[in-house]
Amino acid sequence: MNINQRIANIFLTSRVRQLLVAVLSVTFGISMYVFMNSFMSGVNEEQTEITFTAMSHIKIYNELPLEVQTIKPPPTDSHTVLMVSNNRNIQYTEGIQNVDPIKEELSQIPNITGVTAQLNQNVFIRNGVSKASASLSGIETTNEDDLFNTSDYLVEGKLSDLDKQSNAIILGTGLAKNIGVRTGNNVTILTSDGLSKSFKVVGLIETGANMADRTRALVSIQAARQLLSENRSYATEVLVNITDYNDAQGTAEIIKQLTDYKVEPWQEGNEQLDSSNVLRDIIAIAVSLTILIVAGFGIYNIMNMTVNEKIKEIAILKAMGFNGKDVVEIFLTQSVIIGLMGGLTGLMLGATIVKIIDNVPFKMGPLTTLPVTYDSSDYLMAFAFGILITFIAGYLPARKASKLDPVDILRG
Amino acid sequence: MTALSVNQINKHFYDPVDFHVLKDISFDIKQGEFVAIIGKSGSGKSTLLYLLSTMDTDYDGIISINDTQVTGLSQNKLASFRNEHIGFVFQFHFLLPEFSVLDNIMLPALKLKKKSKEEIEDKAMELLALLDIKGLERKKASKISGGQQQRVAIARALINSPAIIMGDEPTGNLDSKNTNIVFDTFRQLAKEQGQTIIAVTHDDEFADKCDRIIELSDGMLV
Ligand SMILES: Nc1ncnc2c1ncn2[C@@H]1O[C@H](COP(=O)(O)OP(=O)(O)OP(=O)(O)O)[C@@H](O)[C@H]1O
Ligand SMILES: [Mg+2]
Repeated sequence: MNINQRIANIFLTSRVRQLLVAVLSVTFGISMYVFMNSFMSGVNEEQTEITFTAMSHIKIYNELPLEVQTIKPPPTDSHTVLMVSNNRNIQYTEGIQNVDPIKEELSQIPNITGVTAQLNQNVFIRNGVSKASASLSGIETTNEDDLFNTSDYLVEGKLSDLDKQSNAIILGTGLAKNIGVRTGNNVTILTSDGLSKSFKVVGLIETGANMADRTRALVSIQAARQLLSENRSYATEVLVNITDYNDAQGTAEIIKQLTDYKVEPWQEGNEQLDSSNVLRDIIAIAVSLTILIVAGFGIYNIMNMTVNEKIKEIAILKAMGFNGKDVVEIFLTQSVIIGLMGGLTGLMLGATIVKIIDNVPFKMGPLTTLPVTYDSSDYLMAFAFGILITFIAGYLPARKASKLDPVDILRG
Repeated sequence: MTALSVNQINKHFYDPVDFHVLKDISFDIKQGEFVAIIGKSGSGKSTLLYLLSTMDTDYDGIISINDTQVTGLSQNKLASFRNEHIGFVFQFHFLLPEFSVLDNIMLPALKLKKKSKEEIEDKAMELLALLDIKGLERKKASKISGGQQQRVAIARALINSPAIIMGDEPTGNLDSKNTNIVFDTFRQLAKEQGQTIIAVTHDDEFADKCDRIIELSDGMLV
């Protein structure tokens, strides 16, 4: 320890109460920073998770042409009139007839973490006289679970039960309630083509999204193909998840090279999700920086008081030959010590608060407790900002002290 | 050899009204000389000493110490100059109250960094013994008597063996026995080490024993 650091130390420890207040203000600022950011990114993550329980990062499907094609090209000479009445969209290939080669090719792309095919169809579900429309999804159970953690949302039954019987079905809780069925009951599915088949309810699913829970019905993709008399590798869409959902647009471009089907990253038509995440992050950073700056003012104030209190000592030191740089060092050392002490305790307090928040009951939708994340970068940033702010808050009074004229003070 | 030379010094205080404290002061002090500055209260002795010590730079005229012109040097240069070449004993001691007696004495030497900590401590203990305040070294500076504080301040001024020692009534709080100890110490330093001593004093007996007396009256040399 050099002489300036020793002087700083003695100055600091001679006023324990003041030291404590200064340290606490840093502690408070930093713990708030950690808390705000952990909480906000917890909310964001939860939001994203909810979003991606029903939606994949990238969707591949057969898009109906937006404009109905005329069956004959428009006439070229002015003597001919072409009249078409009741023009219709005649599409020969509906859905994706053969998903296997597409899935094969997708598996070559490195950042793709999961691929699943779905066969979706709107149907009616009947139980005796109660009837409700439902969106029937034929799913590849294991792949589906990989992408959406579907089994986490099953309140009864198991997802793999769908593969065991070809007439097994899982219903959304709202849907089941609407038509009055429970696990173990039978229901009848009516397709738009007039086919009907009896299914046995083997489980119930609840995602928290009311609309989905009131219309959702899951069967295995093979059962769906049978029901709709489609071939063995037919699907209406292929869903893809990648390592980082923010890269969806880039990966979608790569996939577009491989297939003629429509490739749609999640951001298309979902900008509100993206923007609300960004907005929440901005709020978190703004609020926590404000708190840190307020803490900075606290330190500035205390350091200023210390300088005023020690004004005579500073003058004596300067009279004995300590220069402005020494004085800055002495006072800056004090604020850095305050910053380090407050920073470390702040990180600990922040972690404790986050832990507590993590256990606060919050029963709404899929949540049971308030959502938080544990991200070391939040802690690093909090510490870095904390030290930076104490440094600045300490430097200003220190510079003032270094400019003091010793005789003015000593002459009295 | 000239230890200190003062040339045409004028000093004003402007607050609350223009007040001409020091008027056309010029003198030289030889190396190893023991000089007393006397004069009535308010005659400008402390003010003059602050100028000589390089702490106060707000004056007209030129001051040179050991052939270095200190007038016009930057604050930082002056600080290290003071640290190495000037020992100063204030009229009101001005110790650092939260530091121990030993720390107070050692500070200027720790700043100078010319010697190891052990050497500095040995030297400080030697000075404590010399000034008859041995045993106080671990006490806090705020917890000792006025006369003891004054001797700690003297020890602090001597720690770097400065070329010039300046004292503003360095024996003002001391009994005759300790006044004699301080006087003899100064005398010896001047004679044996060639250190120059400038002491403001109200004590006529003390002044009479010095090599030379500079008398101020209303800011002028007499
Ligand atoms: N900061 C100041 N502003 C204005 N006038 C001052 C200031 N300091 C001292 N004076 C005046 O300058 C004059 C000289 O003061 P100084 O302290 O040098 O006297 P002194 O000779 O040391 O007296 P003493 O023997 O009482 O210590 C006094 O009249 C005093 O009132
Ligand atoms: Mg005086």
